[in-house]
Amino acid sequence: MQIKKILTKEEIKDIEEIIEKNYGCKIKIDGMFLTKDDKLWIASPPALKIAESLKRCYRIGIYFGRLKRNNKIKLNIEGAIIIGRKARKNVAYVDDNNAIKFAQGYDIQNFECNECEINNFIIVKRGEDAIGVGILREGYIENLISKARRLNL
Amino acid sequence: MERLKKMIPDYEKFFEWHDWKSIRINTLKIEKDKLIEKLDFEIKEIPWYEHGLWVKGDVSHAIEYYLGYYHIQEAGSMIPPLFLSPQGKAIIIDACAAPGSKATQLAMRDEDAIIIANDVNIKRIRALVHNVQKAGAKNVVVTNYDARFLYALGIEADYILLDAPCTASGKIPKKESIAKKWNYGRIKAMSKKQKKLIEGAYRSLKKDGVMVYSTCSIEPEENEEVVDYAIKNFNLEIEEVKIKGLKTRKGIKKWDGKEYDAEKCSRIWPQDNQTEGFFICRLRKF
Repeated sequence: MQIKKILTKEEIKDIEEIIEKNYGCKIKIDGMFLTKDDKLWIASPPALKIAESLKRCYRIGIYFGRLKRNNKIKLNIEGAIIIGRKARKNVAYVDDNNAIKFAQGYDIQNFECNECEINNFIIVKRGEDAIGVGILREGYIENLISKARRLNL
Repeated sequence: MERLKKMIPDYEKFFEWHDWKSIRINTLKIEKDKLIEKLDFEIKEIPWYEHGLWVKGDVSHAIEYYLGYYHIQEAGSMIPPLFLSPQGKAIIIDACAAPGSKATQLAMRDEDAIIIANDVNIKRIRALVHNVQKAGAKNVVVTNYDARFLYALGIEADYILLDAPCTASGKIPKKESIAKKWNYGRIKAMSKKQKKLIEGAYRSLKKDGVMVYSTCSIEPEENEEVVDYAIKNFNLEIEEVKIKGLKTRKGIKKWDGKEYDAEKCSRIWPQDNQTEGFFICRLRKF
């Protein structure tokens, strides 16, 4: 794993502002870093420190999401779970059946939106559980759950 | 079979298996009560571990599993991290960590601790990485070293979990095919490898640090013999461990003409706790 940059407090603050703008919630992040492919990762600061001292390191912490050029973040499931607890906008609520369908990797048509912007990233929730992230299109949510993480039934 | 009869207490009961599956609640993502409320399974608590549950149901297809709210983990494999019982902001190495059940269990114990989850096998590391991600464990660093040369990491750990590769004969009650593959030559080869692994782990352990050596094998050559070798060759002493609600039996003292100084180790027999068979020993470096 090649770390491109460990984000400074100011840079993390910028990320927190992007999240606030997109999801309407304030989140405190510690220990964030960027890899060469513009992926954002989170690790506990002590783990990050020790990883820096290792000659070879396969992986540190967890993948959070990818920083896009338009100043949006494509969250993965863990990112969605972290943000989803507090998110106030760009959140779509689904029932149990649609939650399962979404977790399986399908696009969904039946949902209720909370301040959602079209063509933006949306956190999909079932009750208080964030299921993952999609993009809101005209009349449906495009599924962005990676194949490796889909629910296999 | 004669060998097993000689070794196993309550021999007939050894082969009785149950149809409960075990899961470990991932407290990094959800509280125990909240998860139990959500689960549509028949549930009973595992008496020796507060975050372990016995369940009857389709555990691998539930949305709570997809979300990483629980991890499917054999109940016996939840025990070695309990024997390690790390305290505070420690550096913990899980030397043969894939697929990551125990490493993620350790990660949720204290988020200030650092878990170095190591494995030599790159294919198995992919499963480890997947499970660390799914657990949401931010304090895990995954490395790819041969555990015999763990010192190449350049880190001295406060705690090391060495759940060594083994012949897995403790799984026989659950998986009869393992008995068919039983081969004494394999046991001897594994024992040799395990001695090298315990030496590698010892060299990476701080003075006064704690190591847990465990296997899911019931063969004395892979267990008591390895611990006996370690305490006779390195500055290690055995610490006896008792866990409330868990029935353990002493290590085997005499086997096949050899005497082992490993009585303080623990044997977990399937018939005692409804788990796979395990051997676990806590050692301290002096």
